Amino acid sequence: MRRNSPPAFACWFLESVVPAPYREAMLGDLIEEYALRTESASPLAASRWFWSQACRSVPSMVWSSLRNQLRSRDWLISMSIAIGVYIVMRILEHAADLTISRWLAPQPTTYVVLAPFVFLGITSISGWVAARIRRGSTIFLALMVMITVAIAIYLKVCTIPVPWWYEFGFLTLAPLSVLLTPAVFGVPKPTAGGSAT
Amino acid sequence: MERGELLGSLEHIILLALARLDGSAHGMIVRREIEERIGRNVSIGAVYATLERLEAKGYVSSFTGEPTPERGGRAKRLFRVEAAGKRALQVSEQTIRSMTAGLNGHWEGI
Repeated sequence: MRRNSPPAFACWFLESVVPAPYREAMLGDLIEEYALRTESASPLAASRWFWSQACRSVPSMVWSSLRNQLRSRDWLISMSIAIGVYIVMRILEHAADLTISRWLAPQPTTYVVLAPFVFLGITSISGWVAARIRRGSTIFLALMVMITVAIAIYLKVCTIPVPWWYEFGFLTLAPLSVLLTPAVFGVPKPTAGGSAT
Repeated sequence: MERGELLGSLEHIILLALARLDGSAHGMIVRREIEERIGRNVSIGAVYATLERLEAKGYVSSFTGEPTPERGGRAKRLFRVEAAGKRALQVSEQTIRSMTAGLNGHWEGI
C-alpha cells in the first residue's frame, strides 16, 4: 500500500457494489477524506476508517440498487432471469451436497469444512452467469441467496452445531459472492442510470 | 399536508445539513456536518442513498464538479436543496412544532 493511497481492495470492493450514478462521487469523497485523515492520524487508523465506511455502506447501496431495479421498466425480465439461474444453482448445490455427504466426506466435520467452498463456488458462478445474461438480475439473485441462507439458518438445516460466525459468514459472503464475481471476471459495468449490482 | 411531503428521519437530517451548508455540498461534507452536529456516525453509503432518494423526489438536485487529483481523478457530485425540499422542511418543522406544542415537561417519566 502506497502512502496516502487508500486500501486498494476496499476501493475495488466499493466499485463493484456501489450503483453507477454515485460510484465515482462516493469513492472520490472517501479517497479525499482518507488523505485528510492520514495527515492527522496514522495510516492504519485511516485505513480502518475507510474499511468501516466501505463495509457499512454496502447495505444502503444494495438496497438502493434493488430500489433502482424495481423502478426500471424491465425489472420483471431481470427477476425472471434471476429465478431461472437460482433454480439451476439450487439443483447444482443439491447434487454437490449429495456427492460430498455420500462419497467425498461422509463425516459431518469434513462436510462442514467442505460445504462453504462448494456453496460459495456455485453461488459465485451463478452470479457471473446471471450478470452475463443481464447485469441487473444479480441483485435479485443475491437477495434470493440471502433469503435461502437465512431460512436454512432459522430451520437449523446444518445437523451438527456450528459457531455463529460460520452461519454469519454464509449469510454475508454468499450474496456478496453473487455481486462481486462479475467484477472479478470482468463483466462490463453499465455506464449510466444502471447499477453495478 | 400531503403524505408525500413527510420526510424520513435521515432525509430530514440530510436536508437540514444541506440547508446549513449554504444550500449545496457533496456527500462527505454532509456526513461530516451530521457527525459534528449530532454525533451520529452515518455511513457515506447511507448519505448517498438518501440523497439519491431526495433527488428522485425533487427535493434536491445535483451537478458534477471537476475531477481532482486529491480524489483519485474522480469528480465531486454537489447537491443543492430545491424549492420543493425547502417546502418539505417547512412542513416537517410545522408538524413537529404542532405535535410537541404543550408537551413541556411531559417527557419526564416516559
